[in-house]
Amino acid sequence: MHALRLLFSGLSLATMVAGGVGHAAPDGGELYVEHCVACHQMEGQGGIGLPLLNDKLADVSDDYLRSTVRLGRPGRVMPSFMRMSDAQVDAIVKFLRDKSGTTAVEFSNERVAGNAAHGKTLYTEHCAKCHGADGSGEGEGTGVTQSRDRSFLVMPASISNPGFLASAPDQMMQRVIAAGRKPSGMPAFSRGKLDESEIRDVVAYVRSFEQQARVVEPLDEEERPTHVYESPYDFDTTVANVKASLGGANFRIFPDRLLEQGLVDEFSVNTRQIGVRFCNFNVLYGMLKTEPRLGIVLPCRITIMEREGGQVLLVIPNLRVVSRWFNNDELVGLWDQMEETFTEIIDEVTL
Amino acid sequence: MNTGLLRALSLTVLLAFSGIAFSDNMIMGRVPMRGEIVLEYVISSIEEHGYTVAHIQLCDGGMKEFGYKSDLYRVVFFGKIAEVRAISERYPELVSYVPLKIAVIAEKDETLLSVLNPQALAPFFTDEEVRIQFARWSNDLESIFEDVRRSTAQHVATME
Repeated sequence: MHALRLLFSGLSLATMVAGGVGHAAPDGGELYVEHCVACHQMEGQGGIGLPLLNDKLADVSDDYLRSTVRLGRPGRVMPSFMRMSDAQVDAIVKFLRDKSGTTAVEFSNERVAGNAAHGKTLYTEHCAKCHGADGSGEGEGTGVTQSRDRSFLVMPASISNPGFLASAPDQMMQRVIAAGRKPSGMPAFSRGKLDESEIRDVVAYVRSFEQQARVVEPLDEEERPTHVYESPYDFDTTVANVKASLGGANFRIFPDRLLEQGLVDEFSVNTRQIGVRFCNFNVLYGMLKTEPRLGIVLPCRITIMEREGGQVLLVIPNLRVVSRWFNNDELVGLWDQMEETFTEIIDEVTL
Repeated sequence: MNTGLLRALSLTVLLAFSGIAFSDNMIMGRVPMRGEIVLEYVISSIEEHGYTVAHIQLCDGGMKEFGYKSDLYRVVFFGKIAEVRAISERYPELVSYVPLKIAVIAEKDETLLSVLNPQALAPFFTDEEVRIQFARWSNDLESIFEDVRRSTAQHVATME
């Protein structure tokens, strides 16, 4: 990979020198290697991510690619890259175009007029087998792991996903349904399966998924990544209160871990900074099915620390903030509820 | 074809089938190798980067009885004592995010590595010192993932 990066960097340098440019433009190849290769692979053959082969790229507009990079696919493995600059996103799109030798197709954003009710019948008959009855691709889950039906070449696209619906114009869907996508195994429905009017009906039905999209409440500007509370009690009493409150809320409590435990020998470890770790397995099961990467923020932990002068602080992650890092609207809903439970626990402890 | 050339070819192919993804908030890596072996490489690379592994949490065990299936699900907690102490002293609101943790999730012969990108915390802070710390962690994590990706590819190539 370093070799590839060097190659791409070398190409950028050559371009700069040749063009006499003093300010380095973003390197699309390097950005692709850094952000996209893990899922789409170097040659765009896909794997966890959908293939980015010539057949696909020839079907889509540059706006679709830009919007897809920006928005990702909330709830799926494709992240959003909102902090990338426009120039960086453009550089990735240009890299894909240059590499594939394809040119962008332009679509108008005009909605296609079709009969969504009839489209639903057709969708159920022709599309649901792969894209799922609800358009989610393959039922629940992010596609982040490989737990998909291995008979599919790739995980079928989630066409009810808000990221997809915001990126794909109706005309693009029309074209893809008609022509199919060979590398993904999607047949060309214009060949004796659906006529033009029926394809419009299917598009109208797919578009109707937008109405079912979950609305994620934006974060307040004042939100912080954690909540910090001062306990009116001493350290030991606070720890005992936290455990009692968690037990009362049906959480399973794991053995305590000191914040520094394992990082330093037992004689030097600060025993006045403790993580009370807890979990509700039923809730956690549902959450892991929704977002398997959740392990990186588990288990739930309330850190209790005694500061100089005896001040005791309780620190707890702000689930409203953390859940939004996963770009998974379903998870946001679940964690917003959990956040309320945590607030109640802290209120009880600090009363 | 000689053995050296075969190994080099295997390594090239394996490198092409694994990779790292950086999103705004998450760093993810994918390695075409069983989880137990990848976990060893993760631990080794963490230590080579000067961190201490504090503990390894078994996430799959407890979930099994509720029907959650994974071939291997571990979370590796790691950190540097000086950094953890500095954070708890100067930025107590960040203690929830230390030690750092990497999730190792395996299914069959594929393993995914996932970690919260510490840079996701940067927008909440204006203090340059802590922003540098986030950037340093982020660089280290990228380097650890890159190491694992290369080491596992080398491992398979050597076996062939």
